[in-house]
Amino acid sequence: MASRKGIVALLAVALVVATAGTALAAKEIRIGVSAPITGDIAALGQSTKNAALMAEEEINAKGGLKVGKEKIKVKFVIEDDENKPESTATVFQKLINQDQVLAIIGSQSSKCSNAGAPIAEAAGVPQISPWSTNPNVTKGKQFVFRACFIDPFQGKVVAMFAKNRLKAKTAAVLYDVASDYNKGIAEVFKEEFARAGGKVVAFETYTTGDKDFSAQLTKIKTANPDVLFLPNYFNEVPLQVQQAHKLGLKAKVIGSDSWDSPDLLKLGAEYLEGTYFSNHYSPDVKNPISDKFVAAYEKKFGMKPDAAGALTYDAAYIVFQAIEKAGKLDRKAIRDALAQTKGFKGVTGTITFAGSPDPVKSAVMIKITGGKFVYDSTVNP
Amino acid sequence: MYTVIIQQALNALQLGAIYALIALGYSMVYGIIRLINFAHGDIFMVGAYIGLGVALFLKPPFLVLVLVTMGLTALLGVTIERVAYRRLRHAQRMSAVITALGVGIFLENFVRAAISANPQAYPVLIAPRTLSLSGVSTTNVQLMVIGVSIALMLVLRYIIRQTMLGKAMRAVSDNKEVVPLMGINLNLIVSATFALGSALAAAGGIFYGQAYPMIDPYMGIVIGWKAFISAVMGGIGQVDGAMLGGFILGTVEVIGATFRSTLRDGIAFAILILVLLIKPTGLLGRPVTKKV
Repeated sequence: MASRKGIVALLAVALVVATAGTALAAKEIRIGVSAPITGDIAALGQSTKNAALMAEEEINAKGGLKVGKEKIKVKFVIEDDENKPESTATVFQKLINQDQVLAIIGSQSSKCSNAGAPIAEAAGVPQISPWSTNPNVTKGKQFVFRACFIDPFQGKVVAMFAKNRLKAKTAAVLYDVASDYNKGIAEVFKEEFARAGGKVVAFETYTTGDKDFSAQLTKIKTANPDVLFLPNYFNEVPLQVQQAHKLGLKAKVIGSDSWDSPDLLKLGAEYLEGTYFSNHYSPDVKNPISDKFVAAYEKKFGMKPDAAGALTYDAAYIVFQAIEKAGKLDRKAIRDALAQTKGFKGVTGTITFAGSPDPVKSAVMIKITGGKFVYDSTVNP
Repeated sequence: MYTVIIQQALNALQLGAIYALIALGYSMVYGIIRLINFAHGDIFMVGAYIGLGVALFLKPPFLVLVLVTMGLTALLGVTIERVAYRRLRHAQRMSAVITALGVGIFLENFVRAAISANPQAYPVLIAPRTLSLSGVSTTNVQLMVIGVSIALMLVLRYIIRQTMLGKAMRAVSDNKEVVPLMGINLNLIVSATFALGSALAAAGGIFYGQAYPMIDPYMGIVIGWKAFISAVMGGIGQVDGAMLGGFILGTVEVIGATFRSTLRDGIAFAILILVLLIKPTGLLGRPVTKKV
């Protein structure tokens, strides 16, 4: 009995020490990051983590953020949401309740941000999603922002590109009906392509995790479209283009920002040659901020950053700026400062939140040439 | 129109062949020891990974690769039975089923921890070539998957119908209590069943990797369910039923996707329910007669 009491006492002491530990460590600014570090789009989670750690290191090398009169170091709490909505909800709860973060950067895919945003909103924690382009993520919310453009714009960019540049009269779409992003942009594309005078001759779906698309692609082949739009994540697109190729589909293939990862080319570069996709930025476009970021990232991690990484880096600096402007470590004050962000010059363009949590930014079209992503053109809103 | 039907039939055959290869393992194990081996989908997954490992480190010719992988995965299946299921053979049936679920989760997490949770690109073992004939496109890979799967199933059928081992297996399936009294080593027969089932799943894993060249630790879950459903639809315990069920499910999925892709799984499973309503023991299942 005595020993059991002893253990209880020991545990109590440990608990007190642990709590005191967090209290002492409170002299740091904790910012949560929710990223798909494992799971189907893990390559993107890795670049998110890389970019966040880079921003953290840079700001701490300068002594941290200037809040009021003192300089405080920044600590990113990076959690893995596995690219699953249910895990994202858990990650948001943990970041908010256990880590007491001041703001959250994340998540990346729209289905995950849609799961996290209501939690951040209810708790009054400012959230910036770097890469979620689905309009619903920020809709009707006070605390939720994003660093990227939204799909009503992106879908139109791709539809116009297909119509005007590729001279397509007919188009087919194959998309994941179980994922918010894919479904949203597919519908925008359909509407915009039809509005521009084109005809969508096949509009086919599948469900996350499917590996066999042959039945849908055979149906698309029968419809004989000029272009095939695949607004799906980079881990599934290679299988789709490969199967389309095997079935003898002749349509030109186009994609959207969800293609942007070095992993896309690892799996099916030969079948992707000559295809186009829309994106947030291209490392090929020269501007001082972007060049500096790309060079530093390449030096540190040995590869070019993808758009999700670049947007995460921008989101981090927007949060830094807002915290300094708020002048105190208070979630509401940071939210108000964020909402006044105007003309922030980042790697991926200029970001303004005044008036809307969805920045108006230009898109770029990327062409896959020689097994590489090559800048093609810029489309302004 | 005909070209589309032939094209879709080829698609259905490829999908069905892989379901059938896995369904056989479910059906055989159930036939012998009345266990629904829920780890079987994960054995398929491990088989695909073993094939990947063999391909990367030994780089053997394709057929050797398939045989080596089948052998190694058979060993895994036998080990799982020996370690996890044998002692539970006379326990409540539920205990063994729960253990099988546990083994499956263990395999998933073991591969996740040992290799990576990220999808792995599967090496191209046979250079794909597209063959076109009056509008129908197929590849040598697709034809190989279909052809070798059917060949393997015929070999299995031969083993079960024509060899002493097969005779013993059928006898055990018929009566587990009396057959050991006739001098048949029950444990040996059960091990052989697990070996055969796992080997076929491994072949399924490699073919899957060739047809859909991306594998991950969780790929066995959904495919496992679908194979299990194929086995039930065909009549669980029946080898021919498992093959038939696999090809039917593949066909029904393709038809569903052609009709309306959003409803694919809905249509496929509605048909399954219909089949079971009309024939509760599956298409080739024997009616259950209870002795009093």
